[in-house]
Amino acid sequence: MGSNSIKLLSGNSHPDLAEKIAKILGLSLSKIGVYQYSNKETSVTIGESIRDEDVYIIQTGSGQQEINDFLMELLILIHACKTASARRITAVIPNFPYARQDKKDKSRAPITAKLIANLLETAGCDHVITMDLHASQIQGFFHIPVDNLYAEPSVLNYIRTKTDIQNAILVSPDAGGAKRVASIADKLDLNFALIHKERQKANEVSRMVLVGDVRGKSCLLVDDMADTCGTLVKACDTLFENGAKEVIAVVTHGIFSGSAKEKLRNSRISRMVCTNSLPVDLELRICDQIDISPTLAEAIRRLHNGESVSYLFTHAPA
Amino acid sequence: MNNIVVFGGSSHPSLVDKICGNLGVKPSQVKLGKFSNGETSISIGESVREKDVYVIQSGCGHVNDNFIELLILLNACKTASASRVTAVMPYFCYSRQPDIPYTAKGAPLISKPKESYTFESVPGTPVSSMTSTQAPTGPSHDALNAGNDTENKKHDGPTNLHQPKPVRFAGDGAIHKSPSQSRIPMVPERKENSSELGSLFNANNAGYKLWVAQAGTLVANLLTTAGADHVITMDLHDSQFQGFFDIPVDNLYCKPIAHSYIQYNIPEYKEAVLVSPDAGGAKRAASLADALGISFALIHKEKRSQLPKGPPDASLTSGGGAAISGKPLIASMSSLALNSQEMKTSGSNSRYVQTTMLVGDVRNKTCILVDDLVDTSYTITRAAKLLKDQGATKVYALITHGVFSGDALNRVSLSAIDKIVVTNSVPQHKTVKFLGKDRVHVLDVSQIFGESIRRIHNGESISMLFELGW
Repeated sequence: MGSNSIKLLSGNSHPDLAEKIAKILGLSLSKIGVYQYSNKETSVTIGESIRDEDVYIIQTGSGQQEINDFLMELLILIHACKTASARRITAVIPNFPYARQDKKDKSRAPITAKLIANLLETAGCDHVITMDLHASQIQGFFHIPVDNLYAEPSVLNYIRTKTDIQNAILVSPDAGGAKRVASIADKLDLNFALIHKERQKANEVSRMVLVGDVRGKSCLLVDDMADTCGTLVKACDTLFENGAKEVIAVVTHGIFSGSAKEKLRNSRISRMVCTNSLPVDLELRICDQIDISPTLAEAIRRLHNGESVSYLFTHAPA
Repeated sequence: MNNIVVFGGSSHPSLVDKICGNLGVKPSQVKLGKFSNGETSISIGESVREKDVYVIQSGCGHVNDNFIELLILLNACKTASASRVTAVMPYFCYSRQPDIPYTAKGAPLISKPKESYTFESVPGTPVSSMTSTQAPTGPSHDALNAGNDTENKKHDGPTNLHQPKPVRFAGDGAIHKSPSQSRIPMVPERKENSSELGSLFNANNAGYKLWVAQAGTLVANLLTTAGADHVITMDLHDSQFQGFFDIPVDNLYCKPIAHSYIQYNIPEYKEAVLVSPDAGGAKRAASLADALGISFALIHKEKRSQLPKGPPDASLTSGGGAAISGKPLIASMSSLALNSQEMKTSGSNSRYVQTTMLVGDVRNKTCILVDDLVDTSYTITRAAKLLKDQGATKVYALITHGVFSGDALNRVSLSAIDKIVVTNSVPQHKTVKFLGKDRVHVLDVSQIFGESIRRIHNGESISMLFELGW
């Protein structure tokens, strides 16, 4: 008999986060086996009945070598649950992969984010929970409901409790993030500054111009993701050149690919704060982490019970 | 060839060049790469508007990377207003689950890479005292059994045979998550049933049979979703796979080139025996045997709940409706008591017995093993040993898709297979390098693909390419 209870499934991308969510919900993760055959095809074995259950699959977009493997794992897991007669399948994807390839910026460029959305639906996904999408318009790529959660409430808590808020100023490292930063600045009643950058190639940053006064201030650089950290490090330099006292970078998705670790180690950034939407193994002294598993767990609980999720857009559950 | 655009994925560039050479066109400009965060990046260098686009990508190497790359390429062409997009997948990934052993409950098992192999039916289980390990005898044994002899030498000698690089094999534990390596564990090893896996594979949920997901339908749907209008592939493991698609699928056959290889390269092929290594491939082998007018044999695996008393029934094992020429000779190769841990814990008190038998006569004959896919090479190496044990003089293996994953090349090189014939649907330079040019022959399938692309592009019939099918 299906009891329509929550079943939590975890892929290989971020088992720690999955366990944290399960702990908060007071459940244990369902027994599944997600492996790789020697021919590198993905093998999924589901070890318990999920007929007529409410299934949540936790898989984030991470891993420089394995990002496509994790994506296929997710698709095969969804499909396996669908064909095993799950009542509803929700993909919990804290960091949505390929989110930055969301527009046809050149001739014949692929809109991979749209493709991923279609693939998820084809596999049989009924609902998506994600966090701080690079562009919230990606929600429109889906024909199924997408709950785009915000790390902002958790970030606000962090800033309030762990930084020198009296002497702080918020800084957006690019014009695209101005809205996000302005919203945080409003809520904290702080000033904000903006760095304008001229991008020449993907993942490479050239010249930076600061708009606003940061002299003697503790700067909070806020962005949605830190990938190669080129932007962050350059922004940090620009801020120090303009007389900043310290620079704390706060990002939602800490991807830290390529030479990010080296760049951060050699940079003057005082603190690098990111959420645990991705597994981070920087092992740097300056790193700090914000736990977003309570938000995800609460979203799952509310979704399962048919309650409103909007509360989470403004409040971080403890 | 007007209006045709051929793109190659990163899986098999040399085949792309060959197919394009056959078509008399140049591979179109496409940049394939990765962003620093690992996401696949492509950029198409020439216009595809209202063109007939073919994207060639084999399901090999880093399968998931290549598959996602194919999907992105198809999608990019579709959204760039191509009139038709065709996915050309010489080897179709996820078309079957690898031929590795499974437990009674469906959990996959795999053994560690080893220095030596027994090529018995169930690796790792104690062998009963029957014929299994007996060396093949016969007057011509020494000359023709070079494979087996080298095996013995390698065992004794201090220098072990060079092993292929272990492909992310978990060291001692099956769930291996060192940060420097992949976070995806390999399929667990047999011994690990006691640990974490025990909780999954021998859990108390006795009523529930573990369910290994079949990704076939999903892969078909994903291709359609990405925008494929047509799929061309070769020797699908199941022909039923075509039914998973709502778009046309052309399943080409490599039988014509296999046929001509046997005719022109195997001395006295009329005296040879075609052998199917399992019942599933019986039709394929029988059809080729018919076309060549030579005899046919079948290897049959059977799992019984009890030890057989005396030789099994002839009628029981001559299945498949295949024509068995010569005197049927039923050889029970190895009766293995599979009373290992899984069996006990799965609550069964009967002893399982795995028997491998050969239906047909191969004594003093050349054998040609025919199969569509060699992946871990368990099936084919086992079959080769059985054939040699039954007095076969020489064993050829004729394979369409040589994936050779894990330690497969090592197994093959130590096995009784004298010559392996494989197509280039999957890159084979590693195979040739490892086994040597004398032991491997690579058949070229680019002509078949080139011709089918030409015909599909011109709207001609390709049934001619099917008529010679299996």
